[in-house]
Amino acid sequence: MFDLNIEGAELFALPFGDIVPYFSIYSATLAAFVLIFILISAFDHPERQLNIIFGGDAYYEKEIKEDDTRFSRFMAIACGFATLGAVLTGDIFNFTLFAVLVGITNIAIVASAGNRHVLNAAFQYGIVAMIATVPLFGAAAIILATTGTLSIWTLAGMGAVPLLAKALLILGVMGEGIAPLYIGKAEIIRAQGAPFVLMIHFSSLLLFLRVTEIVLVI
Amino acid sequence: MIETFHTGMFAASLCIIIAFFSFMKETDDLHRLLLTDLASVMALFLIALVGTDLAEALILPGLVVTISKLMALAEIYLVKEGIWGNQPARTLDIEVLQSAPAILASILVLYGIFLSGFSGGAVAGLGVIFYIICKGHQERFELIETVSGYAWVAWIGAFFIMLIFPSQWFLAVMIAGGAILIKVTAKLSLIGTMRGESDV
Repeated sequence: MFDLNIEGAELFALPFGDIVPYFSIYSATLAAFVLIFILISAFDHPERQLNIIFGGDAYYEKEIKEDDTRFSRFMAIACGFATLGAVLTGDIFNFTLFAVLVGITNIAIVASAGNRHVLNAAFQYGIVAMIATVPLFGAAAIILATTGTLSIWTLAGMGAVPLLAKALLILGVMGEGIAPLYIGKAEIIRAQGAPFVLMIHFSSLLLFLRVTEIVLVI
Repeated sequence: MIETFHTGMFAASLCIIIAFFSFMKETDDLHRLLLTDLASVMALFLIALVGTDLAEALILPGLVVTISKLMALAEIYLVKEGIWGNQPARTLDIEVLQSAPAILASILVLYGIFLSGFSGGAVAGLGVIFYIICKGHQERFELIETVSGYAWVAWIGAFFIMLIFPSQWFLAVMIAGGAILIKVTAKLSLIGTMRGESDV
C-alpha cells in the first residue's frame, strides 16, 4: 500500500492478524498533530473574554474559574483521543465507530455551554450526527459484504470496494463532522470555555483528512 | 452471502427511505429524538444483513455507540426544555410501562408454560412480577395462596403416583412439572407485590 501516492514511505506496521495498524508519513503526521492538540486542550487555561461596552472605551474582563470548564476540558481530551483512534486504526468499522465517538464528544463540547440557543443547536446537530450512522455503518456493511474483509491493509490498492460504499462513507463522516457549521449558528465562539471549541474544528478536519486517505487507498 | 445481502438491501433501503421520510415530515423535537433511534436500528440492520460471524461481532459496538449518542441527546433535550430534575409521581412513571405489561407478561407466562418445570416457573413468575410492578395490585393474596396450595397437593399427588403406580411415571412427571411451575410462579409473583403499599 505504500506505493500509493497519498501514503508516502512506510514508517511502521504491526502485522497482528488481518487488521494491521500502520504508520505512513501521512498518518504519522496526522497522529502527531492530534497528540499536540490533546496536550493543548489538557494544559491550556480557559480564555478570559473581553467584553467591550459600546459607545465608550470601557471594557471588562470575564472571570472564568477552572471548575466551570472541567467538563468541556474532559470532553475536549476525549474528543482528541477519539480522533487519535480514528487516525490510527487499520479497520474500517473501527474508523466508523471512532467517527461516531467524535460526534458524541463534539455534541458534549457544544452542549457544555449551557445557553439555551447553543443547546438547541447541539440538539439539531446531534440528530444529524445520529442519522449519519446509517450511511457510516451502511458503508462498512457493504464493504464487508462485497470484499469479505474490513482491513484497510488488505483492501489497499485492490479497487474491490464499490463506489457506493465510498460515497456512503464520505457522507457519514460529513454528518458526524459537520459540527463547525452548527457552531457558526450557535455563536458558541463567544460562549464560556471557548478554547475547547477548537477541538471540534480540529477533529472534523482530521476526520476529513483521514477519510480522504481511506477512500483513496481502498 | 452476497445474494442474500442484496435481497435484504432492498428491504433495508425501503425501511431507510420510510425512516428518512418521517424525519422530513416530523417537526416536534421529542418525536424526532425518538425517530433517531429508528435510524440507528436501520444502521444495525444493514450490518446484520451481512450475516457472518464478523458482522455479529460488529453489532454490539454499533449498538453501544448509538445508544450512548441517544442518551446524550436525551440529556440535552431535558436541559433544553427545562424539564431536567422533574420527579415523576410514581417511581416507574414511564409510558411504555403502562401499555407494554399486558403483552410482555403474557408472552413470558406462555413461554414459561411451554418450558414447564422449575425454569418455566421462574420465567412465568418474572412475567407476573413485571405485570404487578407496572400495573399495581390489589390484595389478591387469597387467590395466589389457594392456587399455590393446590399446586403443592398436586405435586405430592404426583409423588404418590410415582411410588404406587410406577408404570404411570410419565403422567406423574407431567403433573409434578405443572405443579412446580405454578408453585414457583406464585412464589415469584409475591416479589412483585413487595414494594409500595403501606399495608403489605
